[in-house]
Amino acid sequence: MGLVEWIVRLVLSPGVFAPVIFPGLLTALAVLLIVIWAERKIAARVQMRVGPLYVTRHFGGVLQMLADGTRYMFQEFIVPETADKVPYMLAPALALTLAIAPFALIPSAPGFAPVKSPYSLPALLAILASTPLSVLLMGWSSNNKFSIQGAVREAFMTLAYEVPLFLSALSMAILYGSMDLEEIVGRQFLPGALLNPVAAFTFFVAMVMSSGRLPFDIVEGEQEIVAGPYVEYTGIVFGIGMGLAYLKLYALSLLYSLLFLSGWEPLPRALYSVYPGLAGVWLFAKAFTLMLFVVFLRSVYGRYRLDQALRAGWRVYLVLAVVSILLSCLLRVVVNV
Amino acid sequence: MLSTSSGVVYSRLLLREGDESVYELFIGPQHPSSGHMRFIVRLQGDVIVSVDPDIGYVHRTMEKLAEGREAIKAIPLLERLTIIDSHNATVGLVTAMERLLDVEPPPRALYLRTLLSEINRIASHLYGMGIAGIMLNHSTMFMWAFGDREVWLQLAEELTGARLTHTYSVPGGVRRDLPQGFGEKFEKAARYMERRLQDYMRIFLENPQVVARYEGVGVLKKSEASRLGVVGPNLRASGVKYDARLADDYGAYKDLEFEVPTREEGDCMARMLVRVEEIKQSISIIRQVLRKMPDGPILSEKYLKLLPPKTRERVLQEGRVKFPALFASLKLPAGEAVARAEMGHGEIFYHITGDGSAKPYRLRVVTPSFRNVILFRYLAPGHRFMDFPAIYGSLDYFPPEADR
Repeated sequence: MGLVEWIVRLVLSPGVFAPVIFPGLLTALAVLLIVIWAERKIAARVQMRVGPLYVTRHFGGVLQMLADGTRYMFQEFIVPETADKVPYMLAPALALTLAIAPFALIPSAPGFAPVKSPYSLPALLAILASTPLSVLLMGWSSNNKFSIQGAVREAFMTLAYEVPLFLSALSMAILYGSMDLEEIVGRQFLPGALLNPVAAFTFFVAMVMSSGRLPFDIVEGEQEIVAGPYVEYTGIVFGIGMGLAYLKLYALSLLYSLLFLSGWEPLPRALYSVYPGLAGVWLFAKAFTLMLFVVFLRSVYGRYRLDQALRAGWRVYLVLAVVSILLSCLLRVVVNV
Repeated sequence: MLSTSSGVVYSRLLLREGDESVYELFIGPQHPSSGHMRFIVRLQGDVIVSVDPDIGYVHRTMEKLAEGREAIKAIPLLERLTIIDSHNATVGLVTAMERLLDVEPPPRALYLRTLLSEINRIASHLYGMGIAGIMLNHSTMFMWAFGDREVWLQLAEELTGARLTHTYSVPGGVRRDLPQGFGEKFEKAARYMERRLQDYMRIFLENPQVVARYEGVGVLKKSEASRLGVVGPNLRASGVKYDARLADDYGAYKDLEFEVPTREEGDCMARMLVRVEEIKQSISIIRQVLRKMPDGPILSEKYLKLLPPKTRERVLQEGRVKFPALFASLKLPAGEAVARAEMGHGEIFYHITGDGSAKPYRLRVVTPSFRNVILFRYLAPGHRFMDFPAIYGSLDYFPPEADR
């Protein structure tokens, strides 16, 4: 009995429950399936068609993604003769690890942070910033012209979106006077999006860019470079490549909710008293709604050109990010929020 | 700045042999946006230095195949060149055969041909716009255009009995008369389409993202357009007012009033807008056709009188042609004839030579896409690699048509 109790306690402890179960790994994988399904359904609604239908017909084909995933699972994994084999196999695993690692730093309720640190915001951003490296590695080790093109695009884009993303996130840290995500939520007497709308907007656009959603899905530009860095990958590893962007989007949406939408506030006390980790349901709902909006953009926009996206990143959103820092300083120093 | 060394025109940018900064990318024939063809794209960084279109991956020797069978069988064969626009593709052939056979189709048949041609043109433009949409990864435009194409395919099916390969025009007339209640069905479709065109403008052509991708990209100057022998909306978007419907006397176009929309810019946006305008014009042409259509037979008197009297009576009554036995081995007299027609993609040109046998001695066709394929070589160099699909989409290029 002692062992079972110990396991239950271990699983329910913040250090395991938050990153592995909710809102971390398991929830993330479920979200991955649901959001891709939702994306297809939303696009289908706009485009006057049905979308996924045949698997679980009565539930709008909700299990379609699971079926697709299963198919990916059983597909042969082909390693091209000319690929650089070790990095070729290592890079997807690295990418998946780096995409899931941010959940270790996201608190889902007051006092329910897996890793407590006064620097959880910059740590989270640092982990998010390292995923493109594995994508670069994927593209380069594939030794295919299309994948190298994709890798180079990833490199270009990373620099263009990362700077505005960081600066707008840090402007909120300036505003709240803290880099601890848990504290940041506590300091929001108003949602951050109202306190610093410039930062909220910049962060949102950089988030869309970073997760490769339209109109910035340049890295995988299907019409130009087939699947970009993932072109040589098959089976479930290709699935990882595709899911990577969604995982990143999920992590960033959670971060957005924490920074700008006052996180788990107002706290659902009933859930919190059942189990503290469940207070994150509200945070999750905010993040998921945001994700739905981001995937909805697919039915409105096409794809920007690489140079246009870079120009937007460097000339518009970088400037806006700097403005958001100034705004934060102004609010903090002059108005003394 | 043109380089013609070793017989290859590299157009606007010079390419040095053995330049190591040049990066060669083979796009197609199996690629999300290449269509059934291959492009050899050379890049310097992200800038296209040259594009060599390599056609011929769908079918070849359509012309030669047509020479091996009876003339009448060339119609269903050659409509497979451009299956999305099949009546426009063969109406030129039928006109040429009529000129060779010296048959005059009755006026009602001419009006019916014009009707189907315009329905085909709308469907073809919708196809082109849908493809242009997906080339920019704008899946909504793709789905909308392809869904709305269905409206016109159903009208064409109503008229001819076939969704895609209508084989509607035959030498001397058409195969079927106008079905009952076609006018109301068309009017409904036309009103729907006019409303949808506004939606297209809002979500696609006025979308800031699409404007950024299209404006000033792939500019074809007026002088270049006429020098290269480009045809169709691509030519008219560069300011040249040429349309085979005006240039050649076929169908009922001389009785109808319509405008040939042109634009001066010559960029991708202009090409798309010309197509939108042409859809509007086509709707207006069909309205006129339905208003002005004369009564009378739908097959030439010359062939009708070959039928037994009872069958002839029934054909005239039902409005469905029962072909006289002669059609199975229609003999083309010695001589030659040419005809052209305006397809959705541009002008198609037929040259048919007869030697008195049932098979054409020579049958040659110059398709619009074959004349437009040169544009890849001229428009893409100097642009970013990501502009390549944008330019491709705006050209409304249809690979199987070039592979005749």
